[in-house]
Amino acid sequence: MLRRAVLQTFRQGLAQSFFKRNAVSLSETTVTHQPIETSDEADEKSVSKQKPGDESGNTVVVAPPEFRFMYPEFLPDPAMERRNRLKEKLERIDMLQRRSVVEIPEFYTGSVMAVTVADANSPNKFARFVGICIQRGGSGLRAWFILRNVVDKQGVEILYEMYCPLIQKIEVLRLERRLDESLLYLRDALPEYSTFPLDMEPERRLNNSVVPINPLKVKLRPRPWLERWERQNLQGVEDLNLPQRFYDKAEKVAKPWEKYDLMLQYRKTIPAEEQEKIFADVHSQLQQQEFKRKIRRRRGTD
Amino acid sequence: MFWLFFNHEQVRTMSRVKRRTTHPPYWHVLKNNQRQDEKISSDNLRFVREVIQDKYKNKSPIKGSDLDIEKKEWDPKTKRSGVIARNIGVQHMWEKDGKKVVCTVLHVLDNHVIRYVPPEEYAKSIIGAKVFRNRKPLGCLVVGAEAANPDRFTRQYCSLFSEVGLLPKKRLARFIVTPNAVLPPCTPLTAGHFVIGQAVDVYGKTIDYGFQGVVKRWGFKGGPASHGATKFHRRGGTIGTGRDKARVWPGQKMPGHMGSERRFCRGLKIVRINMKYNVIYVKGTVPGPTNSIVQIFDTLLPRRKFTEAPPHPTYFPPEDGTLPQEDIWDSSLHVFGSPSISV
Repeated sequence: MLRRAVLQTFRQGLAQSFFKRNAVSLSETTVTHQPIETSDEADEKSVSKQKPGDESGNTVVVAPPEFRFMYPEFLPDPAMERRNRLKEKLERIDMLQRRSVVEIPEFYTGSVMAVTVADANSPNKFARFVGICIQRGGSGLRAWFILRNVVDKQGVEILYEMYCPLIQKIEVLRLERRLDESLLYLRDALPEYSTFPLDMEPERRLNNSVVPINPLKVKLRPRPWLERWERQNLQGVEDLNLPQRFYDKAEKVAKPWEKYDLMLQYRKTIPAEEQEKIFADVHSQLQQQEFKRKIRRRRGTD
Repeated sequence: MFWLFFNHEQVRTMSRVKRRTTHPPYWHVLKNNQRQDEKISSDNLRFVREVIQDKYKNKSPIKGSDLDIEKKEWDPKTKRSGVIARNIGVQHMWEKDGKKVVCTVLHVLDNHVIRYVPPEEYAKSIIGAKVFRNRKPLGCLVVGAEAANPDRFTRQYCSLFSEVGLLPKKRLARFIVTPNAVLPPCTPLTAGHFVIGQAVDVYGKTIDYGFQGVVKRWGFKGGPASHGATKFHRRGGTIGTGRDKARVWPGQKMPGHMGSERRFCRGLKIVRINMKYNVIYVKGTVPGPTNSIVQIFDTLLPRRKFTEAPPHPTYFPPEDGTLPQEDIWDSSLHVFGSPSISV
């Protein structure tokens, strides 16, 4: 009975966080390049909840439900044939060890980031790249993300492995989300949508507790394209203006029943009970690391 | 000119030998019990569990000082015992120059030595006679892993373990050892049995692909996907010449069952040992799917054998109570808690 109560609050929390993210953010629509002054950055945007635990009276600390979006690489690959609890636990310990050395900030697809990597072939041995995150994936130590930018009229994409020890620094210059989980269509979009200045300064956010969703609709170049974008239900793209036969074929090929397929969703995700356990495990360590970083920043060593 | 060195001929040996069976050899004792639908009350069930615990009470762990050390000197020709482990997955690690390395994580299960078969007796057995036909016979250690509830097994199978006072194990394995590496029954084998940087051989059953066609099974090219090819995309094509021997040769590569065969991966380097969780990280991949059981033992490859003595005959925790180092890394690997690599 207790577990069900804990579960309900976790799921309610998920629903609440979803609404928070989607409702409030519509007021912050414009994409600005100028830094915005904020009051202070010491607000803790995610507060861990303390739930009344068992009959003995001990409180059970549960991670905030936003962790599922902030740290998706802590969740293992859902394929049951390859799952092993011990291995996942050991991998999480290694991930936290690495995070204690390098700050891997919260970011989403659509955030503009800068990554500094040790490179033997660079003049000063470090290479810094700025770009928009178009895709992220992998789980555990294999987690990766792709940054895209247009340099000298040439589109460049770099895949970075988040836990690679060659990475010196990951900065999020602009933290925001887009209407789609994957921005691969930027490859077929006009280059201005993928161009970001390489000396871009980090932007300060108005509201620390909510990650804004940028409802930008991107204009695509005329066909041919790399993929059939009309078949992918993209929200962040302007009207494609294709002949009707493309949309007819897309309808024929579409699988509208997939949204009703519970087992498909079940197999693609980790159950909520397990997610709770994983993040509760990881939560206290991450909080400690965050705290130590804040102290270091206040002292001015960074 | 390279086609002169290309082996066009198929390997046509061992084609009639049966490579897989689903049943154990006939000399094995019947293992699994058919579960009876017994309606036992919870009190009685608890009583049964207590009886089992009393019967298989843990003996005191065997210490290194108990063993007879004069007989147990290590020399380069010694063969130590191996260990039964489970392949729990693959983890990526990085070397000190930033190069990524794929490591297999092997979880050493709760291994205990069950009994020792001396060389003379082993040479008389069916397998022993074959192995030692033209060489000096060696002894054999029977090791078991993964203790389980005795209810699942038959009485004959449990008696193999109850003589020694151990809970019956789900998996058994035999490791060929020289007489100076003998271990007494009930000796636990852990991850500390191995040394960082040593090479091991891993023996396991490969992934079962089922009935597979000729393209996946043997790497044939098949036929063209288009250009008018009628029903010839993934087929084998010709199976003989017609003139020579005028029949299909034995060993002709055809579709069939692929995988689920016992194979060795030799000379894999151990890059990390976690003594707390009994886990070994081995550089490279290992036969078999995730969560399958494998056997690990010191390598046969002559150039990668030990030059110095390893924990012989096995690793025993220090008797003065000091805990061993929990996580041991190879010098070539980048430790995750250490600062980022700058080239």
